[in-house]
Amino acid sequence: MSAAHHDHADAGGLPHSHKKAYIRLGVILTVVTAVELALPFLKDYPDIWMPVEPMWAPLLVVMSVFKFGAVVGEFMHLRGDRDIYKFLFLSPLAIAVIIFLLLGSLAVALFLPFGEGVAVTAVDVKSGYVRPTKSSGAEPPLAEDKFKAAFAEAKGKNFAPGKTVYDKVCKACHGDMGEGKAALGFNLTDDCYKYGGSFKDLYVTVADGRAGNKMPAQAGALKSEEIRQVVYYIRSLKGTNAPGGQPCVGDKVAD
Amino acid sequence: MSAQLAATDPHEVAHDAGHDHAGHDHAGHDHAGGGHDHGHHAVVENNFMGLPNIKLAMWAFLGSECMFFGSLIGTYFFYHGKALAGPLPATIFSIGITSISTFLLLMSSLTMALAVDAMKQRKPTVTRNYLLVTALLGATFVGFQVYEFSHFVHLGLKLSTSLFGSTFYVMTGFHGGHVTVGVIWLTMLAFLVHKGKLNPTKLPINVEVAGLYWHFVDIVWIVIFTFVYLLEFIQ
Repeated sequence: MSAAHHDHADAGGLPHSHKKAYIRLGVILTVVTAVELALPFLKDYPDIWMPVEPMWAPLLVVMSVFKFGAVVGEFMHLRGDRDIYKFLFLSPLAIAVIIFLLLGSLAVALFLPFGEGVAVTAVDVKSGYVRPTKSSGAEPPLAEDKFKAAFAEAKGKNFAPGKTVYDKVCKACHGDMGEGKAALGFNLTDDCYKYGGSFKDLYVTVADGRAGNKMPAQAGALKSEEIRQVVYYIRSLKGTNAPGGQPCVGDKVAD
Repeated sequence: MSAQLAATDPHEVAHDAGHDHAGHDHAGHDHAGGGHDHGHHAVVENNFMGLPNIKLAMWAFLGSECMFFGSLIGTYFFYHGKALAGPLPATIFSIGITSISTFLLLMSSLTMALAVDAMKQRKPTVTRNYLLVTALLGATFVGFQVYEFSHFVHLGLKLSTSLFGSTFYVMTGFHGGHVTVGVIWLTMLAFLVHKGKLNPTKLPINVEVAGLYWHFVDIVWIVIFTFVYLLEFIQ
């Protein structure tokens, strides 16, 4: 192999072709990419919930590192090439990885509150809830009808799992019955939704929070399944019109 | 690499040959060559430990690019989840569209590898064709990015909207800029190969170095796509 890896073919013999190996690697990389793409959908698809939850994020990182290594090692020929090239590329790469990891851990360790985040502090004390620094459990790739089916299932359990989450996380601002609190949380028992009343909208509101008010992102504190359960519970409060409720904010949503 | 721009003295051939050749052959991309044609010497551009300067320079440059993009991606994550206004990543990223452009860029890495391979086999026509396909795939990727950016702006995310907007556009914008430079480079290289303008003894190294740059642009996207796009939907 090594002969072909030196840059210049001598006038005499041409280096042998790697065409087949390259095409094979192209196919492998395509398959790995397809698996990567499937992961977020597998993860948030409740019907095929797994007995043991895989370590999704590390799985994704491993596949990415594999692709990175394959392109550098084979397409860029670094694996069979001279050490000086490896040194020139891999040592700054190591520095880059260190910078990346340092920035990442600093972001978590420092927990820098920004702007609105500061305003939530009082609420944090009340609920014992710390605003997560990393946001976004994300919009679930779920169709609304899947949500509806899961909602009906949750109804069978009187929304008990959702209520547990609600009491732990939401009650401080939205009240015991979901009636809302002035300047803290909207009324959840009327027909009004400022950020949309579909299951998907509610999920995004809970997971990512809503900028410009005090609703914090819960994705760092709750698992996707907990968010879904609390969404079902909140949705069940719609139209119960709890006494002492805060005034309607946003659009009235029928149904 | 700018060392190659240094004025060359045609009388100091032994010393200058490498620089001058590199400059001449690289008229296709960013170097204005010295213009002294030593074209038909034996291959003597090996100036350091018997290795071609141009390739050493490219690997060193790509090493520095690692730190450049590592910092941009690290910064994106440092400020991740700190956006206070505008749309958030999870609500505006479209995995479907981005995965198409990701696939195109991945395939362009394959065609680039095949171009380098064909050049080593001394098949300039095949090389030219692969280079053009690679450039076309790259241009399509840039087109997708233009669409993505304008779509995001339409949804209310601008460079100054939030920390998400700033870090996202700077990071992906620099990557898109690199792809654009690569597309121009490969197109010109294909043209020069087609016209037979390059010294045939040094064609393989020229195509190979362009390939290194192109593959690097691809691996940066592998990292961005996994960490910025996919991980968003996994946490």
